[in-house]
Amino acid sequence: MTPVDSPKELVYSPAIIILSRDLYPRKLEVVREYIQNASDAIDAFSQIAHLIDDTSEPVIKVSIQGRSLLIFDNGIGMGGDDVEKLRYIAYSEKKAGEEAGYKGIGRLAGFAVADKLKISSTRYGDPELHHFEIRAKEMHDEINQNRKKGVVETATEVINRHTDIWSTPANDPKDHYTIVEIRGIHESCSELLDGTRLKEYIGEIAPVDFSPEFKWGTRVSQWLRQDVPDYSPKNVYLSMPNGERIKVYKPYVDSMSISEPHSIAVRDQANPNNILALCWYATKGQDMLEELRPTGKIFTVDGDGDKKRFAGLVYKLFGFSIGDRHLPVKTLWNRSFPRALWFTGEIHIIDKDVQPITDRSDFIESDARDRLYKAAATISSTLNQQAQVISYDRNAFKEGEIFTAKLRHLKDRLRDKSIEKSELKSIRAELNRGRADLQTRLDNCSDPAIDKFGKNVQKFAAQVQKELDEAKIIKGGDGDIADVARERKMPTHARRVFEIIMNALQEYYGNDTDTYHEVAGEISKALRKKY
Amino acid sequence: MPAQRDSVFHSNPNKDFVRSEYDYAHVERWYQLRGQRLNYLGLPAPEMLDIIAWEKFLSRFTTIEREENQQHLMFLQANVRDVEHRLYSLYGQFDEILIKGRDSLGRRPEWPYDVVNLDFFGGFIYQDLSRPKAVKKMISNQVDFRRSFLLIITYHLRDCDVIGAKASFLDDLRQSLKNSTREAATRKEIDRAMDWYSDSATPDSQRQTLLVNSFLRDTGEAEHFDVLCRPAVLYSGTGNASMIHFVTDFTFRPGTAHKTSSKQSLFELVDLGTREVKDAKLIKSTAKPPRLSGN
Repeated sequence: MTPVDSPKELVYSPAIIILSRDLYPRKLEVVREYIQNASDAIDAFSQIAHLIDDTSEPVIKVSIQGRSLLIFDNGIGMGGDDVEKLRYIAYSEKKAGEEAGYKGIGRLAGFAVADKLKISSTRYGDPELHHFEIRAKEMHDEINQNRKKGVVETATEVINRHTDIWSTPANDPKDHYTIVEIRGIHESCSELLDGTRLKEYIGEIAPVDFSPEFKWGTRVSQWLRQDVPDYSPKNVYLSMPNGERIKVYKPYVDSMSISEPHSIAVRDQANPNNILALCWYATKGQDMLEELRPTGKIFTVDGDGDKKRFAGLVYKLFGFSIGDRHLPVKTLWNRSFPRALWFTGEIHIIDKDVQPITDRSDFIESDARDRLYKAAATISSTLNQQAQVISYDRNAFKEGEIFTAKLRHLKDRLRDKSIEKSELKSIRAELNRGRADLQTRLDNCSDPAIDKFGKNVQKFAAQVQKELDEAKIIKGGDGDIADVARERKMPTHARRVFEIIMNALQEYYGNDTDTYHEVAGEISKALRKKY
Repeated sequence: MPAQRDSVFHSNPNKDFVRSEYDYAHVERWYQLRGQRLNYLGLPAPEMLDIIAWEKFLSRFTTIEREENQQHLMFLQANVRDVEHRLYSLYGQFDEILIKGRDSLGRRPEWPYDVVNLDFFGGFIYQDLSRPKAVKKMISNQVDFRRSFLLIITYHLRDCDVIGAKASFLDDLRQSLKNSTREAATRKEIDRAMDWYSDSATPDSQRQTLLVNSFLRDTGEAEHFDVLCRPAVLYSGTGNASMIHFVTDFTFRPGTAHKTSSKQSLFELVDLGTREVKDAKLIKSTAKPPRLSGN
């Protein structure tokens, strides 16, 4: 059949391939689409759970069996009519801005990566379990073959031919769940069957909670619960190949050395009472003064993979990531880009007029998006300022640490009486320079603890200086002039000339004995070298 | 549209009794014997009723399913029952997987197992003997790990189609029994017993009991297992199908050179006969083989 023969049909079979295969260049994104549907189903069920006295833990469970990836949720489930509509492309009764998925495209995601997609679902009170199956590979192969032959069928014809829908009695009418099986995952998409990759990916993109191994998690959760109305982390469990079931959390853990986080409310510039987004951020921490303090370095993590993978912020909408950590850099920073990577964190978008593009790599151009970006400039300016503050504080601490080490060394030498008269001038100069440099750093420092530490270092320096002034420096370093002359076996005449020169120098420097000893020391050194 | 059997999450009271009481007690005994949760291999239907019933005694469960929609329903059931992380589901024909050592996706069973529950759809002894061969292969895999185990076999009684094989088996068994004694009186008793088994009036379930138990014993002993057989349990299954059910202990006996001699004698095995499940109770069958083990 050609388009001319069937003028009423407006969508043709190649559209199925375009809307499935071409939309998800990164195969792991397929998982996000189904988790998103599961998350919406759980939110929908939570609206009625209290009415039917259902106290079961809402869960999303991801497991791998052979070449199947399974995503199960005990959310609202689907009735027969809903399952029938799984055949419809880009059909969704979800409302944009109210649920994470609303385009009716995501369910096609599995077509691109597997031979079949099997979905079974039931709603609370429904005596039937409804099944949907689409033979994706068979359908793709047929469409491609027909394209080569110049045959174009309508999308409806093709979908109907390659899908089955049926119902069976439900085990328990009180059940409510949906299971999606992406069956026969292609070899080229094996990352979908890799438990470790899935754990990382889901933790990074899904609306999951903070790990109990992240001490700041509770605090950040409180901010998010308070200001982000739809913030509702889901319980996502992942079955690992060894039979272990793990709960998936956001990637942040204490072992990453994350310093104390902070938050920024992004307010609508036209109406400051209207919060458009909430950002939380933190930097890489380092043990300073018995506390983890910001280091002012690119946020890196140990272990396999890209060490900078958590550097930067990530946009979240309904708890799902939009784009990667480069998107906020691209959209909010117009200078000092590297500083954006000093931080890790999330920007939870509250304004639901801001909508993602279908593959969720960016936002749809709109007034809402522009309003958000404009308002969120406060994030980049705050973080840039923060970075400057961190830099000052870190430098003050570093200066203080280095200076302390020098002072300790000097104190040791004083104790050992190993300082020579000839060194006194340069030591005093260095001490003064150190105190001045540290003071300059401290003048810019805003961390009270580091400031206090710096002041203590200054006190220590003053104490060392006093000790140096009061110390009886016996050792000359310049050497006794007579000793040098004798030691070098100078002839009597030369010795007398030498003594005259040295006496003249001593007279010349007068009270500036430090300089005289410094010069005499240099002459002694030269003599010893020469003779 | 897939066949209707997809939808049937079924059982019946007799089967429930066998699984939840009779087998349960044996699985619990093995659990206590091992002192840890048991690794399971089986052919549960998507309902996984055996796994659900014995779940507290089991660690991992390897299931074999040959039908795609059934396997999908099994995944669903595992999730609903919250045991999906312990499920390892192989895809393909049981006998092929056991004989080839991998399923149609190339995955291998997670040997060794502590409980093997083979609830066959259909019979056990077909002309090509693929199922007994697969069981033999399974036993030989177990011995590679020197692992004792509990074997449970269930099948449809009417589906045994090798009458000739049974006759020749009974002749061989008669000879073996006679070879084990020189007493004329005992030899006479053996003839009497074997004549009873061979008699067409004797229920086929009795012959199959002897045939399967002997097969399990011979196979197990050849692989260094001490085999303890039990009376087969007969019951009416779903759709009034006549089911026969075997529960057998295989205890690995290291250090035996050629083959192990089970503590249970061949005479005791011939005497085992059957039990029946009626109204969710285990009762003695009316058909009883003449006793040999008193001799």
